[in-house]
Amino acid sequence: MTIFSVSEYIKFINDSLAALVPYNDLAIEGEVAGFKVSQSKWVWFDLKDKDGLISCFMVAWDLKVPLADGMKIRVLGVPRLYQKTGKFSVTVKAIELLGEGALKKAYELLKKKLLEEGLFASERKRPLPRFPQRIALITSPEAAAYTDFLRILNNRWGGVEVDLLPVAVQGMGAPGEIVAAFHWLNQHSNDYDVCVLTRGGGNLEDLQAFNDETVVRAVYGSKVPVVCGVGHERDETLCDFAADVRASTPSNAAERVVPNREEVFGELEFMAEQLESDLLLRVGEARQKVESAFDLLEHRLAGPLENCREVLKKFETQFNNFVFQLDKKKTGVETLERLFAGLNPRRLLERGYGLVRGSSGLIRSAKDVDTGDKIMIELSRGQIDAEVLKTHL
Amino acid sequence: MTAKESKKFNFAQAYADLQKTVEWFEKGEVDLEEGIKKFEDGLKLVDELKKYLQTVENKVKQIKEKMTAGSERPDEKDSLF
Repeated sequence: MTIFSVSEYIKFINDSLAALVPYNDLAIEGEVAGFKVSQSKWVWFDLKDKDGLISCFMVAWDLKVPLADGMKIRVLGVPRLYQKTGKFSVTVKAIELLGEGALKKAYELLKKKLLEEGLFASERKRPLPRFPQRIALITSPEAAAYTDFLRILNNRWGGVEVDLLPVAVQGMGAPGEIVAAFHWLNQHSNDYDVCVLTRGGGNLEDLQAFNDETVVRAVYGSKVPVVCGVGHERDETLCDFAADVRASTPSNAAERVVPNREEVFGELEFMAEQLESDLLLRVGEARQKVESAFDLLEHRLAGPLENCREVLKKFETQFNNFVFQLDKKKTGVETLERLFAGLNPRRLLERGYGLVRGSSGLIRSAKDVDTGDKIMIELSRGQIDAEVLKTHL
Repeated sequence: MTAKESKKFNFAQAYADLQKTVEWFEKGEVDLEEGIKKFEDGLKLVDELKKYLQTVENKVKQIKEKMTAGSERPDEKDSLF
């Protein structure tokens, strides 16, 4: 017979249990009851079904999903008897939520919590570079999302480098792998312009990893801006809210992350045209400037020029007037001259007339002389001294 | 910037330079000689950018490194019980 002390017995049972029960392969499914958290560190709840109930315990650190009474869950854990009380309890290592009900409830709880913390704030959403050169792609290479994304990417744009960080996108291991990928990305954040997190459609359970708190925090904490495109148009996950850009599907993620080369081609054409028309406009403006400068010069000179012309005209007029007057005077003088010349008594003499002078001057009448007076007759040439013989009246 | 990056055509930078050139023209006072030079440079940029758009291929490669997330875990306190 083997004899154990109480403590030894407890240890023996615990060792046996550890050896017997394959912790990673055996999950317990049940409903949560009596859930409570103590000092934000220790978590207790009961897991029950119709007929049975066991006690569960875990560290708050390991609790990655919000729990509430009534939720159906599956746990992985280590069964043990406690040293001091002999109480049986399962120390839980991992929890999987089951069914839409549990998942939806957990989703709402977590969404509220993270919203209040500010993880979804629009102010912190970073702008994406319009022409990225290196893209980090976090998805499963086996998923249709992967090929869809790449196909649309290739259709739209070329010349980028896409680095795939392969992860599981559903199942219990998915959150850990995705978080690890973001951790790696942060260490190489200088090498990438943008990150794309994507997976295809599925039900709430399939998309569970993208509602996992650690994954959402990893998306928020990414040093590289994140485009999140999960599922179909209608699906929304908490990663969508924490990301910098939310795409509706993997294809839409490709549309958000690179531009369409045809659109950009059009922009280039437009800009080239703008350059050309702007240049022509500037040349036209320059020419205008020169022309208007000439106009201005002309205009500025016009006044003084006009003044000069007027002065000249006035001068001309006055000068002409003066010359005219001069001519007139000359003519006048000439006329007078002729007249005067005509009036010259000497001319008369040439015609045969004589000037008769007596002692008292010119004799015009026969009465002015008496017979026997001495007279002098001035002729055109010479003169005659004479004596009056007889007068006739 | 690594040597590899400086040889590779930076689309974003060239595009931004082109936009700056267009804005320069619209600004107002334009020196004609400088304008002609900028116009030629602008057209050259357009050509290079258009040529890049002809690129059809994207390079895809898978990161083979093992990735782990760093994390701390507090120890369990069995002595609670």
